[in-house]
Amino acid sequence: MNRVTKRTWMMGVFILVLLLGILFFLGEYMLQASDWIVFSGSPHIYNGTNIGFGTVLDRSGETLLVMNDGRTYSENAATRKSTLHWLGDRDGFIKASAVSNYASEMAGFDLVNGIYNTNGEGGVTNLTISAQVQNAALEAMGNRKGTVAVYNYETGEILCALTTPTFDPDNVPDIDGDESGAYDGVYLNRFLQSAYVPGSIYKIVTTAAALNCVPDIEEQTFTCYGKVEYGTEAVTCETAHGTQNLQRAFANSCNCAYAQIAELVGKENMVKYVDAFGVADSLTIDGVTTAEGNYDVSEAAPVSFAWSCIGQYNDLINPARFMTFMGAIAGGGKGAEPYIVSSVESGGSITYRAKARDTQRILSQEVAEKLQGMMRNNVQSVYGDWNFPGLSVCAKSGTSQLGGEQSPNAMFAGFVQNEEYPLAFIVVVENGGYGSHTCVPVLSKVLAACKAVMDGE
Amino acid sequence: MEEFWNSLALSQGTLGEEYIGFLRLAVPVLTALLLLRCALPLLTFRREPEIWAWLNMPDGTQVPITHWENLIGRSKGCDVTIELSTVSRNHAVLTRYDDGSWTISDAGSKTGTFVNGRNVQICALNPKDRISIGGVEMQLQPITERQEERQAQLRTKAASGWDTLTNLMLLTTLQCLMLLGFMLKTDRENFISILQGFGGIILCQWILYIFYAIIRRKSFELETMAMFLCTMGMAAIATVKPDETVKQMIALIIGVITFLAIGWSLRDLERAKKVRYLAVAAGVGFLAVTLVFGTEYYGAKNWIILGGMSLQPSELSKVCFVFAGASTIDRIINKRNLILFIVYSVVICCFLALMNDFGTALIFFCAFLVIAYLRSGSVGTIALAITALGFAGVLALRIAPHALQRFATWRHIWEDPLVGGYQQTRSLMCIASGGLFGLGPEGGLLQYVFAADSDIVFATISEEWGLLVALMTVLCIVVFGFFAIRTARVARSSFYSIGACTAASVLVIQTILNCLGTLDILPFTGVTFPFVSNGGTSMIGAWGLLAFVKAADTRQNASFAVRLAKKGE
Repeated sequence: MNRVTKRTWMMGVFILVLLLGILFFLGEYMLQASDWIVFSGSPHIYNGTNIGFGTVLDRSGETLLVMNDGRTYSENAATRKSTLHWLGDRDGFIKASAVSNYASEMAGFDLVNGIYNTNGEGGVTNLTISAQVQNAALEAMGNRKGTVAVYNYETGEILCALTTPTFDPDNVPDIDGDESGAYDGVYLNRFLQSAYVPGSIYKIVTTAAALNCVPDIEEQTFTCYGKVEYGTEAVTCETAHGTQNLQRAFANSCNCAYAQIAELVGKENMVKYVDAFGVADSLTIDGVTTAEGNYDVSEAAPVSFAWSCIGQYNDLINPARFMTFMGAIAGGGKGAEPYIVSSVESGGSITYRAKARDTQRILSQEVAEKLQGMMRNNVQSVYGDWNFPGLSVCAKSGTSQLGGEQSPNAMFAGFVQNEEYPLAFIVVVENGGYGSHTCVPVLSKVLAACKAVMDGE
Repeated sequence: MEEFWNSLALSQGTLGEEYIGFLRLAVPVLTALLLLRCALPLLTFRREPEIWAWLNMPDGTQVPITHWENLIGRSKGCDVTIELSTVSRNHAVLTRYDDGSWTISDAGSKTGTFVNGRNVQICALNPKDRISIGGVEMQLQPITERQEERQAQLRTKAASGWDTLTNLMLLTTLQCLMLLGFMLKTDRENFISILQGFGGIILCQWILYIFYAIIRRKSFELETMAMFLCTMGMAAIATVKPDETVKQMIALIIGVITFLAIGWSLRDLERAKKVRYLAVAAGVGFLAVTLVFGTEYYGAKNWIILGGMSLQPSELSKVCFVFAGASTIDRIINKRNLILFIVYSVVICCFLALMNDFGTALIFFCAFLVIAYLRSGSVGTIALAITALGFAGVLALRIAPHALQRFATWRHIWEDPLVGGYQQTRSLMCIASGGLFGLGPEGGLLQYVFAADSDIVFATISEEWGLLVALMTVLCIVVFGFFAIRTARVARSSFYSIGACTAASVLVIQTILNCLGTLDILPFTGVTFPFVSNGGTSMIGAWGLLAFVKAADTRQNASFAVRLAKKGE
C-alpha cells in the first residue's frame, strides 16, 4: 500500500497545470482585457461590423445616432444622409471607423466591473462636424458625386466632411439593383478613402517648391504661346496667356508657364518637396488611415514630368491630406492635424478629449505668406470675392483631366484668412467640369454655413 | 397568479436593475463562503495511520500493520520490510477483509510463502497460524473488536451535522437568489422552465441530504460542491437554452442515482471486484455501440441519437475505465495484470481513434498515465507512453485535418477571429465585458455563440456571474483533486486509492481541457466541464467519477461508500 499511496502525488501535476493555466490567463486578462473588449465583433460593443453602443452627437449637441437596441439615426432625413459615412449603416457596408476607434472609451470598461456600469447605454461621442454644415454641403452638391470638407487649421476640428453619393439609412434605396450609376461607390467615404487626380490645384505644390528652390522665381517671366512642345507631345493651354510673372501665371493657371517652372525646379527638387510637404502620403485621422496619394516621376519623360507639376500624369492626392496641406499654408507653414472626434464621455466622466496637434513645419513663414498672397489674388482677380461675403478666401481651382470620354473632375482647395474663421477646405466634384465654375457655388454655401455655425458658438 | 405576473412584468425594468446590482456582489460572496466552508475540512483533516493488526516477529518485536493491504518483502517500498537475501523484493501480500478476516497470498516469490509449514499461494489466516517468509517465522495478531471500536472513536470525524446543514442552507439561499434574478429578467414561459431546473437541483440536494442523515453519514462537502457546479451549469443553460433545463435536471437525478449505485458497489471490495468485470465489458461495449450506431457531429462520431435524446456513451466509458484500472495490491504485483490493462487501454484507444474523438482520447490517455504510474511506479514507463502518444498524435494530425486546424488556431485566435478562433475570441470578449462580477442573469450575449452552455460554458458563467464565480467553479474541481490525493493515502485498499486518484484526475483533466481551451491557453478540444456543461451523459459520468473519490474517504461516518465499523449497521 505504501508504494501506491506515495505515488498519488502524480495527480498533483494535473492540478498544477490547471492552476498555472488559470494564473496565466489572469495575467493575460489584466494586460489584454481592454483590447479584447474593443476588438471588432465584440458582442457587447459591436453590432455586426460597426460599433453598436452609445450615442453620437454633432458639434452643437444634436443627436446623430443612438446605438441601443439597434441604430436610431437623426430624425432629420437630410442629416441622416449627410452624416451617414461617419456613423456607418445598419448592414455594416459603411464602416464608422473613426467612431469605433474610441470604442473602449465609449464602453467605459474597467477590469473590475467590465462594462457593467455603462451596459445598455454606453457613452457619448461628440463629433466636430456640424449637421447644419453637412446638410448645406449635401444640398449644394445635389446629385453630384464627390466630397466637401472644411476644417479649422488652428484647432484641427473638422466642421464638414461630406461624401456623396449617400443614402438615407432609414429608407435604403435599391443599391444593388441600380443601373443608373447614381450609387457607384456609395459605401466609400471619399474624403478618407479616395485618391483623386489633382489637376491644377497641384500648382500650389509646384509653386511652393519653386519658391523654395528657385531664388529669382518671382523676378522671372514666362511667355505662353498656348503650347510647349516636347518632340511629338506637348503641354497646352486653352488660350495663349502671353508673358506673365509667377503670380499672374498662377492666377491664369497657365500650363505652359508651369511647364517652364517645372524645368527650373527639376525632378529631383520636385520629388524632394512633394515628400517634404507630405501631399502624396496618407494621413491618420482618429485612428483611421486615409488613402495614399501618388507622385512618381522616376520614369517620366520631360513632357510627363511637366504634366506631373500641373497635377496630371500619374499624380493622385487624398482630399483629407490635401486639405491639411492647405491648413499648413494658412497657418504660416504648419497647421493643425484634422480630427473628427472631439470628446467621449462614459459613465458621467470624460474618457477622451481631442488635443490640437500641429503638423511639422513644412514651409517657412516667408514662403507660406507668399503663397497666401498669390491664392488670395486668385479669388480677388479670378473666382470673385463676392462669392464669400465677410470672408477673405484664398484658393486655387483645378480641372483634372481623366482621359477617355469622362468629363473632368472639378477641384477647389484653399483656406480662409480671417482670424475668427481659420478654415481650410477642399471641394471635389467628380466629373464636375470646370473647376472654379462648379466648386465655387458649392463652397460659397458651405463656408456661409460654417460662418453661421461659428458665429453661433 | 395572473396579476402577479403582470405586476412582475411592470417592475422588471427598474427593480430588475437594482436587484442585479445586489446580486452580482451577493453571488460571489456566498460562493466564496460556501467554497471555503466545504473545502477547509476536506483539505485539513488529519490523516492518522490506522492500525489493523500486529505482526509478531521472532525477535519479539511487533510490526504494526496499517492498511488493509500490505506488501511484505525485501524492497524498501514494502509495507513490511524484511532485509534478508532469502526474502524476495515483493514476497507476499497480507489482506484484511470487511468482516475482519485476513489472508496471505504469495506474490510470486522465489522461496515461497508458508503457513503452518505448508507452501501456499493464498491462504486464510487463523489466529496463532505460523507464517514463514524466507525463513522468518511470524504471527499475525489482529486488533480486537474493542480496539477497533476505540480506533473508530478516535478517527477524525467528518463535519458535524450542523456544518453540513449550514452549507446546504447557504447553497439553497444562493440558488434562490439566482432564481429571483432570472425571474426579474426573463419572460414567464422561460422562467417556468428555469424554475423547474433550479427547483430540481434544490429538491435533489435535500433528498440526498436526508438520505445521508438516515444512514448516519455526515460528510456532504463533495456533494455540496458538485451541486453548486450543477447550479452554475443550470444558470448557463437557463440563459442559453431555457427549454433544456428539465432535461439537464433529469440527467442530474440519474447522475445522483448512478453515484449512489457505484458507491454502493464499491462499498464491499469483493463486490467491487466482481462489478469491475462488468464495467470492463461495458466500457468497450459503450464505445463499440457508438461506433456502430453513432452519428457524426463536428467531425467526431461520438453521439447516439435515441428517441430524440442525444447520448455520448464515451462519457460513461470513462467511469468504466476507472473501474478497469483500479486494482488490489496482490493483482498489481502480478505483471500479467498490468499487461492485460495495457491491452485494454489500446483497444479503447483504437475505438476512439476510429470515432475521431480527439478530446476524449486525450482524457483516456491521461487517465491511463495515472493508473499506469500508480500501479507500476515507473517513471520510465510513463516517459515511453508519452513518447508513444507523441508519435500517435503526429500521425493523428496527419489523418484528421480538423484537429490540425485547432492547433493552427491555438494562440493565434485573434488572427482568425471569424472562423477557427470564433468561439474563443467571443469568449474572451465576453469575459472581459463581464468583469469580475458579471452582468447578471440574461445580461450576456455569449449565449448566441455555438456551445455557449457546454464547450465555452466557463465564459458564459464568467460573463453573467463574473470571473470570480467562474474561477471558483474551477477551484471546486481543484479541491476535488487535492482531496483525492489526501484521501487516497489513507484508503484501505489500493483499489480505492487508484480509483479515487484516477477519477479525480479525469475530472481535473476535463476541466483543464475545457477551461484552458476556452481561454486559448490550450488548443480548443470541445471537452465538457464536469457537472457544469449541458449534456446528460457528461453529468452522469461526472457523478459516477465522484463516487470513486467518495469511496476512498475513510473519515468516520463520512462516506456512504465506506461501511461503518460497528456491526449491525
